[in-house]
Amino acid sequence: MSDSANRAAIALASSLHRHPLPGVAEVVPNLVSVLLRYDPLTSSPSAISGELRLRLFGLDSAAVTGTAWTVPVIFDGPDLDEVAALLGVTVRALITAHNAAPLRVLATGFAPGFVYCGLHPSELVVPRRTTVRPPVPAGSVLFAAGQTAITATEMPTGWHILGRTKFANFDPTAMPPTRMLAGDTIRFEVAG
Amino acid sequence: MSAILAINRAGPLTTVQDDGRFGMLSHGVSASGPMDLAAFAWAGAAAGGGRGGIEITMAGVELTLTSGDCHIGWAGGDFAIAINGKRKDWPGSARLKAGYSLAITPGRWGNYGYLRFDRDIAVPEVMGSIATSTRARLGGLSGRALQVGDLIELTGGAGSPQLAPPPPEPATGPIRIIWGLHADLFAPAQRQHFLDAAFVVSRQLDRMGARLDDKAGVFADTTILSLASDAIVPGDIQILGDGTPIVLLRDHQPTGGYPRIGTIITADLDRFAQLRPGTAVAFEPVTVEHAHQLLRSRRT
Repeated sequence: MSDSANRAAIALASSLHRHPLPGVAEVVPNLVSVLLRYDPLTSSPSAISGELRLRLFGLDSAAVTGTAWTVPVIFDGPDLDEVAALLGVTVRALITAHNAAPLRVLATGFAPGFVYCGLHPSELVVPRRTTVRPPVPAGSVLFAAGQTAITATEMPTGWHILGRTKFANFDPTAMPPTRMLAGDTIRFEVAG
Repeated sequence: MSAILAINRAGPLTTVQDDGRFGMLSHGVSASGPMDLAAFAWAGAAAGGGRGGIEITMAGVELTLTSGDCHIGWAGGDFAIAINGKRKDWPGSARLKAGYSLAITPGRWGNYGYLRFDRDIAVPEVMGSIATSTRARLGGLSGRALQVGDLIELTGGAGSPQLAPPPPEPATGPIRIIWGLHADLFAPAQRQHFLDAAFVVSRQLDRMGARLDDKAGVFADTTILSLASDAIVPGDIQILGDGTPIVLLRDHQPTGGYPRIGTIITADLDRFAQLRPGTAVAFEPVTVEHAHQLLRSRRT
């Protein structure tokens, strides 16, 4: 996992969305890869790979820009004190450092509307918790491994919980059902 | 003309399915759909091709057609079916009239059976599909399994049942895989051991995945590998941190961070999904090209 690998994955997916490859049914950017789904009855990797190689060759990772979001967070999570202690700072300093720089949506899709945001600088990196917490509510703001994640549905998690947001990134009645896309930027702020 | 089905008894994982909810992986929603695609299709053709069907588990189902009439088809694994108490062949098809009742109970093999109709199951479409996702709680009846007291409306014009030849008895022998995304992270000796060993389908299986018992201890010494989360596809064999292999199935989460040694090929995934707990399973690698050939020959 690196910043440049993630940027390249997003750039490739973006290129394939703008100019679809024949035979490719679905394009999904992940943290450091892109999933291409095809119908093996009508296409094959060999039919797709030549065109794909050309795309990779001309890829401009710097050109990707997405929507800029501001996400207000109520920082009252159960792990704030523990994370601050791990980093050797006060809770107030942790929140300030966490919100200091805009983050990029690295990937979406572990669960409905779930977004991974990053990357925080190395002085803000903490490991995941050793135990998994029972389901936490939608809108939980999670923190681990140099990333902040936002849940959009209830789920168990091994990440630290810093707080919660009213930002809802999943609506099954809307099309598309999620609003944030890989490559978007997010600025977190303290909810007023 | 519509018809109403009333559910009198349903096992805990009895769900409404259609072909699946594709194109939603980047929104965090996997496709779902039938665990045994070929059986679902066979039952649909025998019924007359209405949209959707009911996936039945080993716990069986009992229902009554409370109004209207319809043609039904059934297939998948080996179950016993009785209409108004009279036993019918499995798989098969029949006409139901108002007041008829139907009971399905498990037979000799298989985890999943299908009941389909010549009309559409009238439940709201969610993101282009009526398939129930047990993980994301979407589709079907409010994203949940069927329960006693549920009423299912069948609507739309009646299709024409097709007389299909009976499905072939399922193949036996190893389940074929292609080597997975992270196969190279396993030592050659461990990969060979993986192919030589027999695993056993555990009782921990559902629409999301089936855990395997690693009796030979192939992955007993596996150290937890730290990987960036990556895309998952149905059939992926993921090795959990404690060494337990799990085969990810239709309701898989779209991404995961555990290493995947292999992926069950599409042509063998229906067969794997029908293996009951306690069944021994061995894996055999094939090339992607061979996997495609097997799929094409099955569909023609």
